[in-house]
Amino acid sequence: MPERVVLLAAAVAVVVLAGCSSPPSGTSPSATLATVSGATPGMPGMSGMPSMPNAQAGTSASVTAPAAPVTGDAVSIDNFAFVPATLTVRVGSTVTWTNHDEEPHTIAASDGSFHSPGMGSQATYSHTFPTAGKFDYICSIHPFMHATVVVTQ
Amino acid sequence: MTFADVMTRIGIAAAMAVSGISHAYLYIHGYQHIPTIGAAFILQASVSFAVAVLILIGGPGWLRWAAAVVAGGALVAFVLSRTVGLFGFSERGWQPSPHAAVSVVAELLTVGLWVAYLVNRRRADARG
Amino acid sequence: MTDAPHTMSRRQLIRHSAWFGAAVGLAVVGGEVISHVAGTAEAARVQGRPTLRFAQVSDSHIGFSGKANPNVAGSFDQAIDRINSLGYVPDFVIHTGDLTHLSTPEQFDQVKQMLTGLRAPHVFTVPGEHDSVDDAGQKYRSAFGAGTRGDGWYSFDIAGVHVIALVNTLNLKKLGHLGVEQLEFVAKDVAALPDDTPIIVFSHIPLFAMYPDWGWATDDAAQTLSYLRRFSSVTCLNGHVHQVFSKTEGNVTFYSGTTTAYPLPRPGDGPAPKPVTLPAGKLHDALGIREVSYIRGQNALALKERTLQ
Repeated sequence: MPERVVLLAAAVAVVVLAGCSSPPSGTSPSATLATVSGATPGMPGMSGMPSMPNAQAGTSASVTAPAAPVTGDAVSIDNFAFVPATLTVRVGSTVTWTNHDEEPHTIAASDGSFHSPGMGSQATYSHTFPTAGKFDYICSIHPFMHATVVVTQ
Repeated sequence: MTFADVMTRIGIAAAMAVSGISHAYLYIHGYQHIPTIGAAFILQASVSFAVAVLILIGGPGWLRWAAAVVAGGALVAFVLSRTVGLFGFSERGWQPSPHAAVSVVAELLTVGLWVAYLVNRRRADARG
Repeated sequence: MTDAPHTMSRRQLIRHSAWFGAAVGLAVVGGEVISHVAGTAEAARVQGRPTLRFAQVSDSHIGFSGKANPNVAGSFDQAIDRINSLGYVPDFVIHTGDLTHLSTPEQFDQVKQMLTGLRAPHVFTVPGEHDSVDDAGQKYRSAFGAGTRGDGWYSFDIAGVHVIALVNTLNLKKLGHLGVEQLEFVAKDVAALPDDTPIIVFSHIPLFAMYPDWGWATDDAAQTLSYLRRFSSVTCLNGHVHQVFSKTEGNVTFYSGTTTAYPLPRPGDGPAPKPVTLPAGKLHDALGIREVSYIRGQNALALKERTLQ
């Protein structure tokens, strides 16, 4: 019986000691900022200034390219995917992309040869391909969206 | 109640207590902030202490099964945390040292003593 | 102790139940004791206020107008009010990107003006991919780039904590991307710091592989993290995924924060990360801000998620 009590007491004592063992910290925190570059990044905040409510929602931009030629080939942006994923056209053709998503997208060539502005819902973008080749492109906002335009002679 | 039986009881209780203390210490020193793992630590520690106390004062045999389950679970969780990760948590090697190693040894001891207890019982039954 | 026969008598059942009840009771008591000790230990260390306290807000998408949230400016205002009414002045506020939805000059003006309503000594930002839709981040940098390096990254020290703000939303191929120049910046930036300096890293896109199929990862993050491997406390906070998520890998803990605009699906829950329209009245439970505090001596930061009320 006594040995059990001793063991029990020892267990409790160790737990309590483990919890209280850390020394209290006496430093008062200082929140001054130091930067390596010299200039201070970020915006200085307005301490004490009341917040300014702005109930007006911003406008969403939409870009409409000039009317595409009648013979242009089309790529549709649907549900975060380019349809068709591979489009084959002749040299000199113009491809027109149309965004059917609510979310904005862009058309950005992997080799940098074309980069659309931000395309809102229903916006279109056209690009003419003067040379043959295989042109991979992505959406620069959602780069997991990718497709290819194959330009043949 | 043989001498071996008493020693096994004390051994399992002590091993469970050590494992519980390690987890409680780590909980108090930062692991409480880790999502899910923090809760698991405090659960492991409190159940370990409870089972250790009850085994020590002579509780029924199923308590040792409970001890083995808790210790075994802690060992499995430890292995998972070093390999594929557990609830988004993973660590390397034997960090935090020495608590990780101490706890693993205590849990292995618990499981080992439980096996010894089973073997003992089987021998006792065979003797009639 | 004798072997119980395969059928238990009522007396034995009561006996075993009593032991079981004792086990549960003791476990609860033990848990309370440990929890109490943990709380007082932390309070003893704190002695007044934490070493560093800041707020994270993210993905305001000013300019978005869709069913998922017809008034993102209104909910961003609410988030700012939420931060202003925390009961203390945070040491700084960080916006982890996608401040605007379409990178237009008007949207940048609007969000910058709204941020001046925050009552905090400093407000920091990192850009999201929506902030550099058509100009590789030029308009973002005119609005928010003062004092930053390269494409908009920087670092600073506050209350003994080293904070690094990274830009991983330019030159994307499929995932977030930091680039060689920025990696060199990080390597040099931390070279002289002692191992026990707590490090906090902000970025828009997660620096860990949360869901690469949707671009929720950074292709060269591993190298950055290798420079931080020796530090005992590294915490990475990001936005982009519009949901709270965390992962711990050894000494580094990653926390994704939620948005003030509209929710996105859980990884894999649907074909793409499209805005999710929640049932009426449920939107504000999915939007929120985050309080973060650091106590000297504790490697893990304490986070509190706050929904918009």
